[in-house]
Amino acid sequence: MATDRILLELRAVSKSFGQTPVLEAIDLAVRDGEFITILGPSGSGKTTILRMIGGFTEPTRGVILLDGRDITAVPINKRPFNTVFQDYALFPHMNVADNVGYGLKVRGVAGAEVRSRVGQALELVQLGQLAQRYPAQLSGGQRQRVALARAIICQPRLILLDEPLAALDVELRRQMQSFLKDIQREIKTTFLFVTHDQEEAIAMADRICVMNFGRIQQLGSPHEVYYRPRTEFVARFFGDNNLIEGRLAATEGRYRRIETALGPLVCAIEGQPDVADAPAGRRAFAVFRPEAIALQAACDSDANRILGTVAAVSFGGASTVAAVDVPSDGGVHQVRVKMPSQVDGARIGVGDRITLNWRADACRLVLA
Amino acid sequence: MKRSKLATAALVFITGLVFVLLYGPIFVPIVSSFFTVKQGQIDWSAANFDAYVQLTNNEGILEAVKNTMIVGFSAVICSLVLGTLIAFYYDSGRSKARSFLQFIVFLPFLMPPIITGLSLLIFFREIDFARSMVTIVIGHTVFVLALVYRTILVRLQSLSRSLAEASYDLGASGWQTFRYILLPNLSSAMIGAAVLAFALSFDETMITILVTGTQNTLPIRLWAMMRLGFTPDINALVAIILGLTTVLCLVAARHLMPKEPVQREA
Amino acid sequence: MPPGVGLGRRVAGLPVGPAGTDALRRLTIAAAYGLPMVFILAPLAGFLVYSFFWVDHTEMHYDISLLNYERFFAEETFPRVFRQTCVLCLEVSFLTILFAYPVAYFLAGLTGRKKYILVMMLLVPLLMSYIIKIYAIRSILGGNGFLNRALLAAGLIDEPLTIFVFNLNTVLLTLTVLLIPFAVLPIFLSLERIPRNLLEASGDLGASNWQTFARVILPLSLPGVIAASTFVFVLAIGDFLTPQMVGGQSGFTFGRIIYSQFGAAFNWPFGAALSVILAIVVIVAIAIGARFGSKRGIAP
Repeated sequence: MATDRILLELRAVSKSFGQTPVLEAIDLAVRDGEFITILGPSGSGKTTILRMIGGFTEPTRGVILLDGRDITAVPINKRPFNTVFQDYALFPHMNVADNVGYGLKVRGVAGAEVRSRVGQALELVQLGQLAQRYPAQLSGGQRQRVALARAIICQPRLILLDEPLAALDVELRRQMQSFLKDIQREIKTTFLFVTHDQEEAIAMADRICVMNFGRIQQLGSPHEVYYRPRTEFVARFFGDNNLIEGRLAATEGRYRRIETALGPLVCAIEGQPDVADAPAGRRAFAVFRPEAIALQAACDSDANRILGTVAAVSFGGASTVAAVDVPSDGGVHQVRVKMPSQVDGARIGVGDRITLNWRADACRLVLA
Repeated sequence: MKRSKLATAALVFITGLVFVLLYGPIFVPIVSSFFTVKQGQIDWSAANFDAYVQLTNNEGILEAVKNTMIVGFSAVICSLVLGTLIAFYYDSGRSKARSFLQFIVFLPFLMPPIITGLSLLIFFREIDFARSMVTIVIGHTVFVLALVYRTILVRLQSLSRSLAEASYDLGASGWQTFRYILLPNLSSAMIGAAVLAFALSFDETMITILVTGTQNTLPIRLWAMMRLGFTPDINALVAIILGLTTVLCLVAARHLMPKEPVQREA
Repeated sequence: MPPGVGLGRRVAGLPVGPAGTDALRRLTIAAAYGLPMVFILAPLAGFLVYSFFWVDHTEMHYDISLLNYERFFAEETFPRVFRQTCVLCLEVSFLTILFAYPVAYFLAGLTGRKKYILVMMLLVPLLMSYIIKIYAIRSILGGNGFLNRALLAAGLIDEPLTIFVFNLNTVLLTLTVLLIPFAVLPIFLSLERIPRNLLEASGDLGASNWQTFARVILPLSLPGVIAASTFVFVLAIGDFLTPQMVGGQSGFTFGRIIYSQFGAAFNWPFGAALSVILAIVVIVAIAIGARFGSKRGIAP
C-alpha cells in the first residue's frame, strides 16, 4: 500500500527548548500511503517530531518539506495534516456530529454536505448511532474513534496520531490496533503514529522509526528492526534479546566472528557496513533472539553452540522461557531461551545441562 | 468518634448566637418595611406595603438606583473585556512581565478601598479629569477586575491546551477558535464573574464616595441621608435589594460550579 | 512546558488574536498592559509621590520633602490614634476569630445539604447594603435601641447603657459583627480540607475527641485561622465609613483622620502620606499572614 513516492521530508531538523536539546540532526522521509510508526521511550523526542510536522512547534534548525515544498513556516491551520491527540481533544460542548464536522464547518462547507460527510465518516469508524451524544457520555474507545473520524473527514495528506491508544486497556488496545490498520488500508492515507509500545509498533507499522535521545536509532520494517537491530539501544529495546559482549574478530564474507566470554560466535553482518568496516578488537555485542535458540545437540556446522545449566523455567502462556546459566570468563552469563509451551509441561527442568544452538544468520552484531 | 452532647450543644449555641448577631441588623429594616413606624415605635397592628408604595414615588432614590445600575453594568462590561484580555495574555506564556501585570491587577482588590479611592481621586485631579459617572465606573472596574480576571483565568487554565490546538489543526483561524471553542467553554465562568462583580459594584461605598462628582448612586445617597435619618421607604428598598442580590448570587454560584462530567466506562 | 491556550502564542507564524492580524494582536497586548498601568499603577505611584508634596496653608507645593512624615511623628495625636487603630483592629480580628472558629467547626462537621445551605446563609448578610447594615447596628446598640430595651425589660439594668454609643467600643462591636462572615469562610475551608482519614487515624490510635482536636484539627486549621485574621485585620483597618458612622467624637480612627484630610482639613498630600503609612501596615500584615499561613498546610 505504500508507494515509493516521498510525501514528507524532514531535513537536518533539530530542536531545542531553550538550552535543552530535544532533537538532533533528524533526517526522515515519509512515503506516501505508508503507515509509519515513531517508536521510542519517553523523552526520546518522538512527540516533538509529530508536533513539528503538525506545526505546533517550530524546528530550531532544518526544514520540513511537503512534496518538495518548504512548509516549515506554514501555520498549523494551513497545513494539510490532521492530528489525533493523545487526550483526543474532543470539544466538550459539542456533540459527536458537530465535533466531526468542525473541520468542514470552519472551511465554509455547506450544511447539507457537512451532514452527509459526517455520516460517512461516522459509518467508517462504526459510530453511526452515536452522532448526537456528547464526549462526556462516551467510553474511551468511542472517543478515540470520534477523534479519528474528525481527523479523517477533511481528507488530509497525512494523519498524525499521538499515542492515541495509550489510555485504553490492553484488550481494547489490540482491537483498535487492527481497526486503525484496516482504516488506513481502506482510505489509503499516510499515517504517522507515535508510541512507546514496541509490540504496538510491530503490529501496525509498515516502517518503524526507532528513536532515543533525540536521534533516530534505526528506520526499517518491523522485521528488520526486530531481527536485525543496528544499534545496542534498538537491540535492547525490543524486549528480551540476548546480548553478549565481546570483541570483533575476523570477517568471513557475509559473517564476522566475535570473541566473547562465552567463546567465539559467528554473526551475520549483511546490510551493516559500519560493522563490516570496524577494526578488529572493537567492542561489540552479539545479539540473538531467545526464540532463535534450539535445544538439540546436533545442528548445522555453521551454528553457534554453547553449553549451559538451566537455572529457571517460567511458563508464560503461549511460550515458556528458560534462563540458562552459561559459564563465561568472568563468571556466569544468563541466556534466555524461549520455546513454545507444551501441554504436558516443559521438556527441560531446573538443573538440566543442555546445549544451546542458534544459526549464524540468526545472530547479529551491534557496535558497543 | 461521636461528639459529646455538651460539645454539640455549645457549638450549636454559639452558631445560633452568631446567626442572631448577623441577621439582627437585617431583620430590623426588613421587618420595619412591612409596618408603619410612628415616632420611632413600630406599630405592629397591621402589616402593609405602604413603604413599598412610597418607594415608587421617591424619585431621588429611584434615580440613584438607576445610576447605580448604570455604573454596575458599565463596570461589569469593562472588567469582563479587560479581564478576558489579560487572562488570555497571562495564559499564553511565562514571563516576569506577566507576573507583574497580574500583581498590578490584584492590587486594588487587596488594598483597602480607601487607598484605591484616594489614589484615583488624586490622579483624576492632577490630570484634570472631572469627577463624574465615568470616574465611578473606572473606580469600580479597577476594584472588581481582579475577581473577574481570576475567575476567567482559572477556567481558561482548566481547558485542555489541546482544544485550541485541535481547532487550529482542523483548519480554524484564531478568531474561529476563539468564537467556537474557547468562548463557549468560558461563558459560564464569565457569567458567574459578571454577576458577582455586579453585586460587588452595587454596594461599593468607599471608593464611590471618594471619586464621585455630583452624581448620586445609591450608596452615596444613603450616606448623605444618614445624617438626616432614613425614611421608611428605604427599608423597602433594602429588602428588595437584599432579595435580588441573593438571587443573583445563587445564579452566579450555579454558573461557577465545576461541571460534573458524566463518565461511562465501557 | 509549552505555553497555554491564549492569544500570544508563538507557534510557527500561527495567526493569533481574535482577528488574526499582527496589528490587532499588538493592540490587544497594549490594552492588556496599558489600562491597568494607567488606572492602577500610575495612580498608586502618583499617590506615593504625592505624599512627599506639601501644603502651606492653602498653597500646594510640588516639591519633594519629608514634611508630612515628620509631622506624623511629631504631633502627638497621629501616632496615638494610629496605635489605637491598630490595636482596635487586632481586637476585632481576635473577637471575630473567637466567634468564627466554633461556627466554622460546627459547619464543617455537618453532612449533606444543610452544610452548604447554612454556609450560604452565613454569607447572605454580606449582600445587605453596607450603610443600612451599620445604621441598623447603631440603632440596635443605641440608647433607645433594641439591646437596651431588652436589657431593661429583663431587669438587668435600670437605665439605658451608654457605653456602646458613639465611641470606640461601638466601632469595635460593629466591625466585629460586620466581619464575622469573612472570618468564618477561610477557617471553614481549611477545616474542610483536613482529610477525614486523619481524624479516623487519630481515633484509631487512641486519642480522645479533645486530643484529636487539640493535636490534629487545630494545628491543621491554623493556616485558615491566620488567613482569616489577616483578612479581617486588613478589612477593618481600611474601613473609614464605619468609624465615621458609629464612632462619634471619641471613636476616632486612623481612617477617619485620613478621610478628613480630603474633606475639612484639606491637606491632600498629608492625607496621602498617612495613607502610605496605612498601606505599609497592610502590606506587613499580608506578608505576615502569607508567611505563617502557608508554613504548615495540608499538601494538595
